[in-house]
Amino acid sequence: MTTFFQFVVVGISTGSVFAIVGMSLVLVYRATGIVNFAQGVFAVLAGLLTYSLVQHMPLALAAVLATLATAIVATLVAVVAVGFRGRTTHLASLIITVGIAIFAEAVLLAAFGEVPRSYPAISDRAWDVGGVLIQPQYAVLALVAVAASFVLTLFLRRTIVGQALVASADSPRAAELIGLNLRSIAVIAFAVAGALTAVGGLLLAPTVPVTYSSGLTITINGFAAAVFGGLVSIRLALLGGFALGVLQQLVVGYVDSQYSLIIALVVMLVLIGWRSRGELAV
Amino acid sequence: MSAGVPVRSTRRRRVATARLLALAGATVFACWLPFQLERGDVGLYDRMGLYALVAIGLTLLMGFAGQVSLGQGGFFLIGAYTSGLLTMGLDPDTRLVDPEAGIDPLLAVAIAPLVSAGVAVVIGIPLMRLRGHYLAFATLAFALIAWSFLYAQDRFTGGQYGVTVAKRLAIGDHQITGATHAALVWALVGISLLVSTNLVASRVGRALQAIAANEPAAAASGINVALYKLQLFVFAAALAGLAGGLFTFYAQFLGPEDFGIIVSLLFVVMVSIGGLGSVYGAVVGAVTIVYVEHKLRELGTHESLLGWDLPSTGPSILSLGVFGLMLITIMLFFPHGLLPGVVGAIRSLGRRLGASRGGS
Repeated sequence: MTTFFQFVVVGISTGSVFAIVGMSLVLVYRATGIVNFAQGVFAVLAGLLTYSLVQHMPLALAAVLATLATAIVATLVAVVAVGFRGRTTHLASLIITVGIAIFAEAVLLAAFGEVPRSYPAISDRAWDVGGVLIQPQYAVLALVAVAASFVLTLFLRRTIVGQALVASADSPRAAELIGLNLRSIAVIAFAVAGALTAVGGLLLAPTVPVTYSSGLTITINGFAAAVFGGLVSIRLALLGGFALGVLQQLVVGYVDSQYSLIIALVVMLVLIGWRSRGELAV
Repeated sequence: MSAGVPVRSTRRRRVATARLLALAGATVFACWLPFQLERGDVGLYDRMGLYALVAIGLTLLMGFAGQVSLGQGGFFLIGAYTSGLLTMGLDPDTRLVDPEAGIDPLLAVAIAPLVSAGVAVVIGIPLMRLRGHYLAFATLAFALIAWSFLYAQDRFTGGQYGVTVAKRLAIGDHQITGATHAALVWALVGISLLVSTNLVASRVGRALQAIAANEPAAAASGINVALYKLQLFVFAAALAGLAGGLFTFYAQFLGPEDFGIIVSLLFVVMVSIGGLGSVYGAVVGAVTIVYVEHKLRELGTHESLLGWDLPSTGPSILSLGVFGLMLITIMLFFPHGLLPGVVGAIRSLGRRLGASRGGS
């Protein structure tokens, strides 16, 4: 039983990253109608930047700088992905973000090389809870994910900017009529989501080394988490991320590590199929 | 009224015949060409044809169903491994591979598209009712699953080391390799173009065009939108499976590198070059991408480029960078495709020149 709970604990920590990326995807989708295929790239960029910066400065400062830099890159991605009003459809935007993800791999490969990078965790001690080892890094990841879900939900429901984000996706034309600038809405959403994913990525790197091509799996796991909530619910994306992470670890522990990604993807396909009963393609 | 109809239909028939003759002529030329090429170029030319087959299917799906598949590489993979493994005798227990025990390669190539199409039916039924981005991610997930299976089932596939296919494609005693293989591939490209253009011009095609133009309106006039989309998805998967099956006897080797996610994404780049929904454009896109990739690989293996010392990953950096930028620029500035965009720009320029000349 101890082994089982150990797998669950590790699963929740990796699941936290899926949840964080999933919630970021939901935020961007609700604000712009765009599914950002390059979202996982932000996690990789933050991880690799922190790795490079931490050689010259304390970890905390490196993490803050990496997050800021990633948020700035995310605003650039927003401007390109939104494209031209009236000409760039949401599907075209999705393909543009696919292009950005491919291009980003080239940049990351040229800048950081192909060796997976990692750096020391926040603390090298671990709490022993009835035989189950819990690293502080795991706890911080899960806390960040849960806190982010509350903050994002409040942000979307209670703040003017949050309401503007939702309104602009619900009815772009009406939003423009009342004076909202769709491009700045997109930039805000991408920047917030980029910073959030960056935090997830730089917390992930000490336990799972990241390399230039890690973004794809992070994006697709994040998307799977987001699909739990139909791409619109922050809280269900959080739960979806946890569930997915735990499931993957259980498969690693009891079946075969080579099947962990396969099982997660099959679950996602089934979920999408199940979702298809509710939503019509119009 | 009754006098007008025959005239119009004769003209239409003439145009159709002229098109058919042009396509037949181009196909004959494309099949004759590999016998004139140097040996090193035949492989490149063959690969262009194989990718063109996949791109033709994908462009119909993207152009008419408004659905993006990021997983055509998965159907390509299934076709390739289906035909490759069927020609070998496999024993799940002893893991022995008997190169002589399998079925005839020709039959294996014929089965490959059927298996791909079957998989497409299973995953396509729930997905075709959904918005585009769900299908994009679902197909990507599918391609990743297929790819992961190569590693998980390495006793059959050889995992990262791959597996050599011993048998060769042959009709009777006549081996289909090298230039003959390339000619066969391009003949199939010609047939696919014929089938696709007929499909677009038929009742099915009119329904598809209605769906592409205005989906709710098409559904309201009684067109079963999901069914038509599913048919396109399955057709595209079958073409990718056929290309995969032929690829096996082009490379005589199956390894994971030829079927990575980037291959699936490259098919999207090919379609975006040629124009969404343009089958001839898809061929142009495939030829362009294979050629550019070849040139970039040559460039990437240099020690330095424009004063920049290239690392050993140079070829990957160059191709990822160039293809990523290509996709971004084309979708931003020519969302209906690079080729139609450029042609349209030239036409409107010509019209403007003509108008100004007429005015002065």
